[in-house]
Amino acid sequence: MKAIESIPDRKLLLFKSCMVGQEYPGVETATRYVFDQLGVDYCINDEQSCCTGIGHYTDIFEGLTTTAIAARNFAVARKCGYPNITCLCSTCYAINKEACELLNTNAEVRDKVNSIFREKGFDDLVYEIGDMNPRTNFYHAVEIILSKVGKIQEEKKFDFSGVKAAAHHACHYYKVKYLDVVGSPENPQLIDTIAAACGASPVRWYEDRTLTCGMGFSQLHLNKSTSLQVTKTKLDSLQRAGVELMIHMCPNCHIQYDRYQPVIEKEFGVEYDMVHMNIAQFVALSLGADPYKVCGFQTHSVPLEGFLEKAGIV
Amino acid sequence: MMPYVNEYDTPDCKTLAETAKKSIRTPESLGLDRCIQCGACTASCPAARFTDYSPRQIVKKVLENDHSVLESEMIWSCFYCYSCNVRCPRNNSPVTIVQVLRQMAINEGIGIEKLGYFLEIGEYLAENGASKVPGAGIKNMERDLGDRWIGMKKNLEFIRSELGLSSRDIRDTHGEVQAILESTGYFEREKWIKAKIQEKKVNGFLKTDCSNNERKSGDFGFESDREYTGQEAFTI
Repeated sequence: MKAIESIPDRKLLLFKSCMVGQEYPGVETATRYVFDQLGVDYCINDEQSCCTGIGHYTDIFEGLTTTAIAARNFAVARKCGYPNITCLCSTCYAINKEACELLNTNAEVRDKVNSIFREKGFDDLVYEIGDMNPRTNFYHAVEIILSKVGKIQEEKKFDFSGVKAAAHHACHYYKVKYLDVVGSPENPQLIDTIAAACGASPVRWYEDRTLTCGMGFSQLHLNKSTSLQVTKTKLDSLQRAGVELMIHMCPNCHIQYDRYQPVIEKEFGVEYDMVHMNIAQFVALSLGADPYKVCGFQTHSVPLEGFLEKAGIV
Repeated sequence: MMPYVNEYDTPDCKTLAETAKKSIRTPESLGLDRCIQCGACTASCPAARFTDYSPRQIVKKVLENDHSVLESEMIWSCFYCYSCNVRCPRNNSPVTIVQVLRQMAINEGIGIEKLGYFLEIGEYLAENGASKVPGAGIKNMERDLGDRWIGMKKNLEFIRSELGLSSRDIRDTHGEVQAILESTGYFEREKWIKAKIQEKKVNGFLKTDCSNNERKSGDFGFESDREYTGQEAFTI
């Protein structure tokens, strides 16, 4: 288990996410806003590439390519002096953590990756054993926010009291490297704890709480009806629980619920009352951020206007 | 066509179990041999809930070294959600074993057409340092998500600029990502995959409709629990 006291607030490389950048850019700006307000020391580096997750889990990239790309990103983080890789996307988090473990424990792979770097003249990318620690150099942005929950409670400008919120913790955060989760991987409470600090009433347990979002990488595209059935199952459960806000921590889940909720409503003849946002967007709102200029809600599929009006934000 | 074997994901071993254990897709501590067929994986699995996918049966097939598992549509149903990984009481990881099986199937050209949809991801990554939903996926999303999403996508560069971000999410990788993809053999393998898909198309082996394959494992003769008579009792 990861101890909350061990989570750093210095030298964080805020690891850009492709799906955030292309679908919900407001998640990146909201995270930056929150980090700035909470005095977190971070940097963003455009030299950092995609983690390969989308390709790795659609079976396109083999393990060696994924590991070599990860080793390059680790060098980018170390070279700029911000070695604590902090991800916006749970798949980036899992891919990087696993690649680091592999580079430290598998000499054959490490030598192969390094020989590729040397052959291409990329000597500054070479990875030596222990250059990064899989347990202490990799974080998800939600962990950083959680570690500042006291400060959020003190400094919040807007209180979400009366808002019934449900958390969807991302599978690749707590089911891949499950020994390194803050709290129990059977019932992670990171988002719930942060939401409560902002005044909301989290639904601590609901049916199918740990069910995956249903995106399943290739599944949404190759087995769409099963994919949407999985998504619908959780939306049904939240509807029964009277939830009005579903809070996410991964752009893949966010796409699946926010983009496909209207599709499910149409295809299955159902109606849902909940809206969706990322935990960083939620905290940013609570700290006084603009819903459009910082949180970027104009890119969402389920309109948030009704929710924001009811909550008294706009 | 010669198979294109990807030695780190699918090392050449005597048995499926050995390949799965040695593959870099699975954790070093993989508890495959410790599997007690308890079914906690299947009980936790979203694919098992909505299709006839069964991680427990897949692990059983691997332990029995039954290569017919590679032919099963079943292996393509996993969501890679890792629920089985977290729940297995013996530290086994069906989700990572299935990743190895898919790679082995790809080596033999089985199910390879499913990859066609996603191949664009590699080319885009090499050029831009980022990934994107492949073109065919965009078409599906346009159809499903309609005008609101299409309008947002058209407006994205403006929205990003308004948020204070670069208008497009392009990374500055100095050609290093392109060079890495060349050196790991990614492009060579991609070329092989494209040729293999083409070969299957020409020979008419390709099923073009992938949307309705949720209940197909039966086609490949996976036995049900009722047909499995169990091992003979050991008597002294």
